[in-house]
Amino acid sequence: MSQTLSANDFIAMLRGAGATIREHAAELTRLDSLTGDGDHGTAMLRAMDAVEQAIAEHADAGPGTMLTKAGWAVMSAAGGSTGPLLGSFLMGMGATLTGNRPFDGPVVAAALRGGINQMHKQSKAQIGDRTMMDALLPAAAAMDAAAPDASPADLLKLAAAAAAAGAAATRGMHAKFGRARNLGDRVLGHADPGATSMALILAGFRDGVSPAAIGGALPVNRED
Amino acid sequence: MAMKKFINDPSRLTEELLEGFALAHRDIVSVSPGRLVTRVQPKSPDKVALVTLGGAGHEPALSGFVGEGMLDISVVGDIFAAPGPPPVFEALKRADRPAGTLFVVLNHAGDVLSADMAMQMAEAEGLKVRKLLTHEDIAAGPDAPETDRRGLVGCIPLYKIAGAAAEAGRSLEEVHAIAERFNRNMATLAVAMKAATHPATGETLFALADDEMEIGMGQHGEAGTGPCKIRSADETAALMMERLLHAIGATKGDRLMVILNGAGATTLMELYIVLNGVKKYLDERGIEIVACRVGELLTVQEMAGFQMFAARMDDELLALWNAPCRTPSLTVA
Repeated sequence: MSQTLSANDFIAMLRGAGATIREHAAELTRLDSLTGDGDHGTAMLRAMDAVEQAIAEHADAGPGTMLTKAGWAVMSAAGGSTGPLLGSFLMGMGATLTGNRPFDGPVVAAALRGGINQMHKQSKAQIGDRTMMDALLPAAAAMDAAAPDASPADLLKLAAAAAAAGAAATRGMHAKFGRARNLGDRVLGHADPGATSMALILAGFRDGVSPAAIGGALPVNRED
Repeated sequence: MAMKKFINDPSRLTEELLEGFALAHRDIVSVSPGRLVTRVQPKSPDKVALVTLGGAGHEPALSGFVGEGMLDISVVGDIFAAPGPPPVFEALKRADRPAGTLFVVLNHAGDVLSADMAMQMAEAEGLKVRKLLTHEDIAAGPDAPETDRRGLVGCIPLYKIAGAAAEAGRSLEEVHAIAERFNRNMATLAVAMKAATHPATGETLFALADDEMEIGMGQHGEAGTGPCKIRSADETAALMMERLLHAIGATKGDRLMVILNGAGATTLMELYIVLNGVKKYLDERGIEIVACRVGELLTVQEMAGFQMFAARMDDELLALWNAPCRTPSLTVA
């Protein structure tokens, strides 16, 4: 397995995220109609269309610029909290991918952590608050705990697995942010749509650089 | 359940409503890319600008109050969803002027997120902006933390008062201070009787039994203090005004602004009847209504119910409220 990613691998990661979100958009909408106002699937589709557009326009500029532009496009395109949060994640990734360093494990981990930190700064949510951070903070912790020589693909696998587990855990959480906050116990038993989205995005990143993983288990177990 | 609305493509609701809005009021407003609603006749750059943001679906709010004497730019999001930070930053850049900009934000998670990110960008760019957050909902209790108190209809009289101060040539610090004084002296409580549907998804926003109402319901169907049996207009007026007076500390001899804002499906007839109940309740306590507005300012589709707003007034606030303005949905000659 390669120890570094190419610029094309980052395009494949973003496209992998787009593919996973498109496949599960109806599920995101269903989750959001149980706990929010039902437009999260649509907002994520809009965000992924904006990402695809940014890839088409900025792929030649390198992963850092492409991710920064994609983040800005997502913020402009998707409303509510989804666009600003996902956009800040992508822009945070882009901001760390500057210079001519090879995209090895530590650099890829730093990029993801940069994205997670940027989103965390805006969202201010912690583990247990039933938000996107419930998927992302465990993903960051999993990468922190990885072997120092872990490959980018291995790091993305660890991050995706931790995010899926984190998203699944939101089923037992009360909401502390957004409209779901007012629903009290009514959200219990359903995964948070935002955390589910972020788990899907990290699964898409993983699948983008490890195509063999495509068709594997869903990152988040379906509910009955 | 089938949704009964006169719409076309559910994914183009905001574009289509803004097109019609601009057409209907083309002598006052125009709509720019990024869904920025701006004044056709811009305010002089030596006067403070007013910018706000918010989701669509609450017409006439918020863009119906763009115009002379009130807002300069309103940034419109999707239905019930805040616009993203880039168009908000664009609005702050466009409004930027030596006199500065007052940026009014209603306390809702998405709005605050976009506004804070746009403010970070504005600060990095060196723009002269001061942010003001409205959070006058008292459903969670008047002493609840700020994050639990939503911004409801109170933004609209606040636009009017801050806008009049700006038109009068007051400095950004003065406009901010006046608006903040009004902000601290205002409170809103909502009551819902019947749910609305989300016009893009067709989902019902909440459920209430036929014989129930719920006090404290937010403007997107956020849960309030729990359902109760429907009360009469007078009882409802007294129940709500009692809590509002307590929240703003109004007592005998105080002068109030009162707004009854219809949520979309409650008739003016009902609102006028409720107003009588408010008046009776206040008369008994020696509190005078010196400013009043009844009608639909900030709606929630076809939700039945209303928001009751009260603010303690002083001479300066009252003069600013009575100053001229000309916007699509509020004109004072």
